[in-house]
Amino acid sequence: MSLSPASGIGRFYKHSAKIIRFARHGCTNRPFFHIVVMERRKNQHQPVIEQVGSYDPLPNVTNERLVALNTERIRYWLGKGAHMSDPVAELLGIAGLLPVHPHTYMTAWRNRKAAAEAAAAEAVKPAETA
Amino acid sequence: MLRAGCQLFNQSAVAAVKTGSNNFALEFVRRRRKPRWLPVAKSKLFRVPERKKQSEEERTELMRLHNHYKTQLRSVRQFLREEVVRQQETSTADHIVLTPEQEEAEFQRCVEVNAAWNAKIAKEREVRLAKEREEKVAYVQERLEAGKLREEERRERADERVRYEIEQSKSFITRENLDEAIETALANPVDHNFAIDLAGNMIKGRNTQPQSN
Repeated sequence: MSLSPASGIGRFYKHSAKIIRFARHGCTNRPFFHIVVMERRKNQHQPVIEQVGSYDPLPNVTNERLVALNTERIRYWLGKGAHMSDPVAELLGIAGLLPVHPHTYMTAWRNRKAAAEAAAAEAVKPAETA
Repeated sequence: MLRAGCQLFNQSAVAAVKTGSNNFALEFVRRRRKPRWLPVAKSKLFRVPERKKQSEEERTELMRLHNHYKTQLRSVRQFLREEVVRQQETSTADHIVLTPEQEEAEFQRCVEVNAAWNAKIAKEREVRLAKEREEKVAYVQERLEAGKLREEERRERADERVRYEIEQSKSFITRENLDEAIETALANPVDHNFAIDLAGNMIKGRNTQPQSN
């Protein structure tokens, strides 16, 4: 895999389908993503049209997952009719640029449900042991 | 038949690895998958994968959320599209067209600015070069004087050496006073032998006992 500059050297047709999506730039067991605009039919390691952000999914020492977004260019490309991959749509929803994605709500209520069940199990266990 | 197919597939894969013509030959985890043209394995023939269960409640809720999301996204997209169009219309980045006279005037203005700038820089450069020249002259002068001093010192040292040699040459043995020198040497034999005892006293001469004994 060769690195292409983030400023973008990707060639594209004027009317081809563009997409805003992740390009994985980490290494083994260490994901790191560039948020890029590229032609939809190309694979993620081809030269990009433009990099519009980055996303580090692993929490850092202060338990943050860092995201950088070039909102101006994202607005531009969305206005030009670029598509979005689902993870990017979720991220932009959480960032507040777009409406919150349904998948985010779903994950949240499933997590809440799992937490409630775990709490209930915790509550029952001491009663049994006592 | 399946076995034969596998064999063929393996061989071709191994050959590709051996030639090493592409980067993908450097993979360490080898996965061998069923080639596309082979039928479903007998053991998997009647396996029906279980569907994930989704409650009716959740499904309707997700449907509702997705409908809302799609509607909202559509309107956001329309807004952004209009924004882009608006920006393209209002921005003056690449559609200002000038008349030839205006272009000529603009060009002249640029030339004047450039000339003024060049003149200013030339003045600065003159000053800098003059200063550098002076510094260079001073440096050369200094080096020349230092060289002269060095040369003088060297000459002084050489003269000193010559004088010393001339002084020494008075006691040289030459062809004229050779016999005399030989006689003197024979008359005064010098013995360089000596011994040292445990106390560190030097006992000169060939005799290990002091001469006085």
